[in-house]
Amino acid sequence: MAYEALDFYDVDSLLTDEERMIRDAVRDWVDENVIPNIEKACRDEVFPDQWRVDLGEMGVLGAPLEGYGCPGLSYIAYGLICQELERGDSGVRSFASVQGSLAMYPIWDFGSEEQKNHYLPKMHAGEWVGCFGLTEPDYGSNPGDMITRAEDKGDHYLLNGAKMWITNGTIADLAIVWAKLDGVIRGFIVEKEDPGFTAPEMTGKHSLKASVTSELVFQDCRIPKDRILPGVEGLKGPFSCLNNARYGISWGAVGAAQSCFNSAREYALSRIQFDHPIASYQLVQNKLSWMLREITKGQLLAFHLGKKKDDGTWTPEQISLAKMNNVDMALEIARMARDIHGANGILDEYPIMRHMANLESVKTYEGTHDIHNLIIGRHITGIQAFTREP
Amino acid sequence: MGIAVLLKQVPDTTAKITVSGGRVDEAAVSKWSFSPYDEYALESALQIKEAGGGDLIAVTCGPARAAKMLTDAAAVGADALVHILVDDLGALDTTQVQAILAAAVKHIGADVVFCGKQAADTNAGSTGPGVAHLLDASCVTMVSEVAADGDSFTAIRASAGGNERVAVSSPCVFAFDKGTTELRRPNVRGIMMAKKKIIETMTPADLGVDTGSSSVSIDTHSPPPEKPPGQKFEGAESVATVVGKLRDEANVI
Amino acid sequence: MDVTVIAEASGGGLHPVTAQLVGAASSIGGISTVLCAGGVGVTEAASIAGVTKVISVEGDCFGSFDGGAWAEALNSVARGDVIMAAATASGREIAATMAAMRGIPIVQDATALGIASGILVTRPIYSGKAIETSTVQWPCAITLRANAFDAAGGGGNADVSTVNQSADVAVAVKEAIAKASERLDVTEADIIISGGRGMGDPANFSHLYEVADMIGAAVGASRAAVDTWDEIPHSMQVGQTGKTVTPSLYIAVGISGAIQHLAGMRTSKYIVAINKDPDAPIFGVADYGIVATWEEALPALKDELGKL
Repeated sequence: MAYEALDFYDVDSLLTDEERMIRDAVRDWVDENVIPNIEKACRDEVFPDQWRVDLGEMGVLGAPLEGYGCPGLSYIAYGLICQELERGDSGVRSFASVQGSLAMYPIWDFGSEEQKNHYLPKMHAGEWVGCFGLTEPDYGSNPGDMITRAEDKGDHYLLNGAKMWITNGTIADLAIVWAKLDGVIRGFIVEKEDPGFTAPEMTGKHSLKASVTSELVFQDCRIPKDRILPGVEGLKGPFSCLNNARYGISWGAVGAAQSCFNSAREYALSRIQFDHPIASYQLVQNKLSWMLREITKGQLLAFHLGKKKDDGTWTPEQISLAKMNNVDMALEIARMARDIHGANGILDEYPIMRHMANLESVKTYEGTHDIHNLIIGRHITGIQAFTREP
Repeated sequence: MGIAVLLKQVPDTTAKITVSGGRVDEAAVSKWSFSPYDEYALESALQIKEAGGGDLIAVTCGPARAAKMLTDAAAVGADALVHILVDDLGALDTTQVQAILAAAVKHIGADVVFCGKQAADTNAGSTGPGVAHLLDASCVTMVSEVAADGDSFTAIRASAGGNERVAVSSPCVFAFDKGTTELRRPNVRGIMMAKKKIIETMTPADLGVDTGSSSVSIDTHSPPPEKPPGQKFEGAESVATVVGKLRDEANVI
Repeated sequence: MDVTVIAEASGGGLHPVTAQLVGAASSIGGISTVLCAGGVGVTEAASIAGVTKVISVEGDCFGSFDGGAWAEALNSVARGDVIMAAATASGREIAATMAAMRGIPIVQDATALGIASGILVTRPIYSGKAIETSTVQWPCAITLRANAFDAAGGGGNADVSTVNQSADVAVAVKEAIAKASERLDVTEADIIISGGRGMGDPANFSHLYEVADMIGAAVGASRAAVDTWDEIPHSMQVGQTGKTVTPSLYIAVGISGAIQHLAGMRTSKYIVAINKDPDAPIFGVADYGIVATWEEALPALKDELGKL
C-alpha cells in the first residue's frame, strides 16, 4: 500500500507541482529502500552505503544551494525532502542534513571559488561525504568557549583538539571543523587523509542507531593553508549552518510524527479488545485527535517558515520556535503512539520506539530544546538567560 | 527513430473507488498515476532510446488533469509531450479512441509504439491491437522485454509454455505486460527540466476525428456486490462446500 | 442477430469457454457460427447446442500465434453482426484487431449480457472495484470472461466447412524460453495460500505448493513460520514486517491471525482460513472459515480443486 501522509489542512494544495514531484520521488524511495531495511540497519547499527549512493543520484543533497551542480530548490522542497526522509528514519534525514546544510552550505557560503568548485559537485553527487565539527566533549550548548585550536605555521595550519557527536564522521571524506585561530573561531576543511586526523565511531547508542556518530580527533593535524574558509569569522559561521539544518529538522519531525500517527491509527482500527477495535474507545480517540492537532499545527509552522526562508524574511528565532515545537510534539506523539500499540509497540515490527529513541537525539542536537526556549525568551524580554554572567 | 509511448492516467491502484449518482466519482479519487502496465512500456522505451538514440514522445488522450502525468513522463526522460484533450473518455467508443491515438502517432511521425497491455481502469486491452491495425503496423502483446536488433526488434512475450522470443520490424506496436524493469524514479534534475517541457495540446477535431455518435453508452456504474458476512464451517467435509462458494459466490476461482 | 464466435483452443482441443460463448450468444437471441483457428476443436464445436455452422479456418499462419495475421484470416470469413471471443490474452487481441478491421467498437471482459435498445454489457472496471453496464449498438465485438456464463449444452449438429485462408505473419517466433522455475511472488499473485507455524514442519509447505500450482497461486508465510524455520525465507513473509498483499483470494492455513499478520492481508478481497482452533483470531476476518486440521483439509482442497 502506498504511504498516505496525514494532511488535515491540505498543505498539499499549497505546493507547486515541482515540489510535489520531488516529495513523491523521495517518498517512493523511502518506501522502497528505507522502510523494508531500516529495522535491520538499526539492529546492526549500520548506515547502508547504498543510501548515500541513492540520495546522490536522486539529486537531493544540498538541495537549496544554487550553482556548482546543485539544483537551487526552494526551501519548501528542501523541507519536504527532510519530511519524507525522517518519516523513514531520523538517521537518514540526519545524513542528508549534515551533508547539505552543515557541510556543503558552509563551503557554498563562506568558501573560496576554488573550494566551491572542488568540493560541491562531488558532495552533491554523494561521492564525497561531509561532516560538521563544532561540538566538543565539554562544549555543547556553549560552543563559543571551544578549545579546539588552529595555529598558523606559515605553510600550514596545525589543529589540536577533539569534536564529539559528529554525524557521518567516520564515513566522511571531509570535515568542516570550527576551531579558534588566535582566539577567533574560523572554519577549516579537514580531509580524511590529513595527517594527525582520526574519526573513530561512537558505539553503544540507543538512538540514531542506523546513523554514524563519531569523534573527530586532531593531534597535531596538519592541513594546507588553502583549507581555511575565508568568508566568515566567529560563531556566525557555524550558526548560519545550524539555522538551515534546524529548519530542515522542523519538517523532518513532522514526518516522524506522521509515521507514528499512521501506525497508531492502523493499529487502533485493527486491535480488537472487549469485542471492539480500540479505536472505538474514547481515550484512544482523544490521543489520536491530539496527534492530528499537533501534526497539523507543526505542518503549518514548518510550511510558513519555509515560505519565509524562500523570500528571505525569516529570523533565527522563528527557526528556533519551529524546531523546538515540532520535535517536542513529535516525541510526545511517538510516546503516545507506543502507548496505543500496547505491548506490540515495543517490538521493531512497528517503527514507534525507533522514532521515539531517535527523537530524543533530535530534541538535543542542533540546539537543545531548552536553548531554543531561551532564544525565544531572549526575543520576548530582551534579556538573555543562557548564562549567569550578563 | 521516433518512439511514441501511449500513456493513460488512471486512479492510483491503491486509491479507493466510490460510486456516486450512478457514476464512479472521479473528484473523490485521492491520487492519479500512470496506468501500471504503461509504466513498463515507458521504461522499456526509455531504454531503447538510450541504447539506440531517437526521440521518445509521450502521448495521452484524456482530460486536463492528465497533463500532470505527461510532466511526470518528461521527468524520467520523455523528449516531447502530446496531449489530446478529451473531457470524458467514457463517452467515446474504442473506434474513436483508437482513431485519435493512431492519428496522433501519425502526426508525430513515430515508427514504433509502446503501450500497456490494458489500462487499469477499463482492464480492456483493445488499444494496442486496434491502433496497430489503423497504423498498418505489426502488433506484439504480452511483452515483457524489447530490444532493438539493427533496424528491427526482438521481444520477449508470454506463450503457452512460458515465454518466447519473437522478431518483428517497424512499424510495430508493443503492448506490455509486467516488464523486466520497473519504471525508473525521477531525480531532481529530471523534475526541474520537466517543468520547462511544453506540452503540445490538441483536440480530436484537430486530428480529424469526430467524437459525436459513439456506439457505446454507459448506463450506470455501481459498487461491487456486498460480500455476505463471514461463514464458518466445521470439519474437512466442509471443504467441498467452501470451494463451491469460492467458485459461485465469490467468483475467485 | 448473427454472432461469430471465435473458438478458444486449449491443449489441442476446445477450451470450455467456447461453449459458454455460444450459451451467452443464445441468451441474447444470437445465432452462432463458430470459427476454429487452425482447425482446432472443429468436431467439439459442431456438437455445441445453438451452433448452426462451424468454419475451420486453416492456413500456414496458424502455426504460431500472430494476432494480426490470425485476425486477418478469421476476419475474411466472419459474417456476424456481433463478434464474440473469450476474454483471454489471445481472444482479446484477436477480437480487438478484428473490431478495428471492421471499424466496429469492442467491449471487453463482459460478465453478463442482456438485450434492450442494444446489447447490455455488464463488466467489472477498476480491477473489480466497480461494475459498469453499457448499451452497445451492433455491429460490435464483445469478449466474455470465462466461467461467468452458462455453457450451452451438447447434442448439437452444426454444418462444418473448411476454408483455406492464411495471412502474412509479421511476428516471427525465434525461440521458446522456459519460464524460470521461480515461483510467483506474493506481491504479484491474485491468489495466495499461506502457511503458519500450525503447519508443524517446513516440509509440509509442499502441500501448499501443490495447491498453489493447481490454481496459479503464490505461497506465503506468517512471521512465526519464517522465524522458526530457516527453510521458509523472509521473502515469503506476509505481515507487518513482511509484505502487504491485496489478492482476490487469500487462504491462511495454520495461521492464528495475530494482528501483525492481519496488517499484511486484511484487505484481501476474500479470505479463507483453515485452522484447528475454532477461537483463532483469523476466523474474525475470514469470509469462509474451516475449523479442521490442515492434514485433513488440504487433501480435500486438492480433491475439490482438481474437479473444477
